[in-house]
Amino acid sequence: MIEIEHLQKTYQRGDGTPVMALQDVSCVIADGEFVTIRGASGTGKSTLMNIIGCLDTPTAGIYRLSGEDVSGYSDQQRSQIRNQRIGFIFQSFNLLARTTATENVELPSLYRGEAVDRDKARALLARVGLADRADHFISELSGGEQQRVAIARALMNDPPLLLADEPTGNLDSAAGAQIMELLTELHGEGRTIVLVTHDEEVAAYARRELLIRDGRIATDRAQSTLHAVRSAG
Amino acid sequence: MPTFVILRLALRTLWRNPLRSVLMMLGVAIGIASLTTLTSVGEATKRQTLAEFKNMVGTFDVVNISPGGGRTRGMPSLTTVEPTLKFTDATAIAAQVPGVTQVAEVQNAFDIDVKYRDNTTASAMYGISANWLQMHRYFVAAGNLISPDDIQSLARIAVIGPDVQRDLFPGEDPIGKQIRIGNVPFQVKGILESRGAGPGGSSLDNIVFIPVTTASKRLFNRDYLTTITAQLKDPDDPEPVIEAITALLRERHGIVPPGEDDFTLSNPRAAALQVSDVRSTLTTILAGTAAIATLIGGTVIMGLMLVAVSERRREIGVRRAVGASRGDVLRQFLVEAALVSALGGLAGVSLGVGAAVLLAVQRALVPVIVWPTVGAALLLSIVIGLVFGLQPAWKAARIDPIDALRS
Ligand SMILES: Nc1ncnc2c1ncn2[C@@H]1O[C@H](COP(=O)(O)OP(=O)(O)OP(=O)(O)O)[C@@H](O)[C@H]1O
Ligand SMILES: [Mg+2]
Repeated sequence: MIEIEHLQKTYQRGDGTPVMALQDVSCVIADGEFVTIRGASGTGKSTLMNIIGCLDTPTAGIYRLSGEDVSGYSDQQRSQIRNQRIGFIFQSFNLLARTTATENVELPSLYRGEAVDRDKARALLARVGLADRADHFISELSGGEQQRVAIARALMNDPPLLLADEPTGNLDSAAGAQIMELLTELHGEGRTIVLVTHDEEVAAYARRELLIRDGRIATDRAQSTLHAVRSAG
Repeated sequence: MPTFVILRLALRTLWRNPLRSVLMMLGVAIGIASLTTLTSVGEATKRQTLAEFKNMVGTFDVVNISPGGGRTRGMPSLTTVEPTLKFTDATAIAAQVPGVTQVAEVQNAFDIDVKYRDNTTASAMYGISANWLQMHRYFVAAGNLISPDDIQSLARIAVIGPDVQRDLFPGEDPIGKQIRIGNVPFQVKGILESRGAGPGGSSLDNIVFIPVTTASKRLFNRDYLTTITAQLKDPDDPEPVIEAITALLRERHGIVPPGEDDFTLSNPRAAALQVSDVRSTLTTILAGTAAIATLIGGTVIMGLMLVAVSERRREIGVRRAVGASRGDVLRQFLVEAALVSALGGLAGVSLGVGAAVLLAVQRALVPVIVWPTVGAALLLSIVIGLVFGLQPAWKAARIDPIDALRS
């Protein structure tokens, strides 16, 4: 469960002037939800995701993850949360370039302090349909394939929460649809998914939509009907 | 992250950037190689000097007592010493100091004219007790050494060194011939085996030995000694003997505090170590240069690591996103720096050992590899890596992951 109360984030620009990326955001996302965050460019979507993902800390407000107030956690503690409870999927994939698909998938387990489970990494690659690409270098894979490696990596430590910031933004519609099918499947297994997107078609996969405007949540609406129609079709 | 995982990761990163890795290793390798070579050659030279010194003094297992307080420079001789050390002092030391097995007496002078017919030479003249020659491992090539009977009877006999033989008896057998030492006639009893050269290369063979009693009563007419040599029962622990002899001689010479000793004790091993330890200015300059090269190697590592950190921003961001803490990133880069430096050190040590062996062989020295120094050099290379890796690692750890992921 994600609970956010009056969250604020102010950045310092290079010239010293402050930018209020988040003005006052409050919301609750329950376990097992599939939520999209939409909004114009520069409204603070990524900022909100980074705070939820413990990559960033809020300037003010409270962020509780599964009941724990993590706003004041140390770097060490936040790293452990990112490692074990959160999986990230980025627009630009963010894989290690001169490394094989399997090694990329294994990466989160290195920071878990346990022995690397290569079989599990390969099983995850098989699950995203890349069994025959396991030993390929990232540079040898297409964008869609790279994003599926990134999803396998996000699953390596079995996190309950997946955060995807415009995961289809760099993909054509076919590859994007594949990614969305995968995320829908993962949601079906009970994972919580928060997804940032510009694309209404992509947003339609989710059950709930948060519209952000000027650093605030402007609209919060369920869209189960739309989703149901799409899945049926 | 477990240490071996970090190490494997570092090794892989170095392996995948071979050119950069070699560049990073180069400076440290050159520095460590020079240091290894220098210390090894230095040690080989030192051992050589020590061996030459031992050859000169004949034995390390003694304490030498010479007259005069404060350390007199150079070798004592009748013309330079104070007349405070007597034959009876030698007898007393032999009888009363427990750690002493035997005592030899010496009355010596330098540049004494020795003549045979029309030939003249100047040599070192040593009046010695019979046991002195055995203690200092002198052997005859022909004839005989000085015997206790010769001492008893104040015999006018001499044992001459090969240089004296060469100068006075070209093409002639000296045994039994009469030579004149300062106008006193002596009969040649023996010829010494050559001892070659001492430290500095001067000959040790331009020497004449006569009985110390004869020297005292018939040649120099002096009743004091230039050196008493006391042989140690336990050569490794000269200190108690030195203390006992000091106490005995102070008592015999009637010296009470705060009066200073009117004699000086020395242990040739200690003296030899001191002499052979004197490093030349050149060695010091070279060692300094090598140390600076190693430091420059460290700064090369730092520079290239700083560049690498900038190039690897995205990698750092990715690692942070999947759970690496700042500490994990810091450790990763520190270990990389230490590892590359240690590998450079290892290469340097191998090169240095090879060069040391070659140089030693070339200079006809026995090659010596000082393993503790080799170990210290390796340790130094690791420390250099850690020290110069600190700033890049710190920079890497402070990179904002969001920034790095967006780039
Ligand atoms: N590190 C930063 N320093 C200064 N300003 C920043 C920083 N990061 C974000 N901002 C500003 O904060 C605001 C929100 O940025 P954010 O990246 O969250 O927007 P976004 O909604 O994700 O936009 P987009 O749809 O283009 O990705 C923007 O005006 C941006 O310029
Ligand atoms: Mg964004």
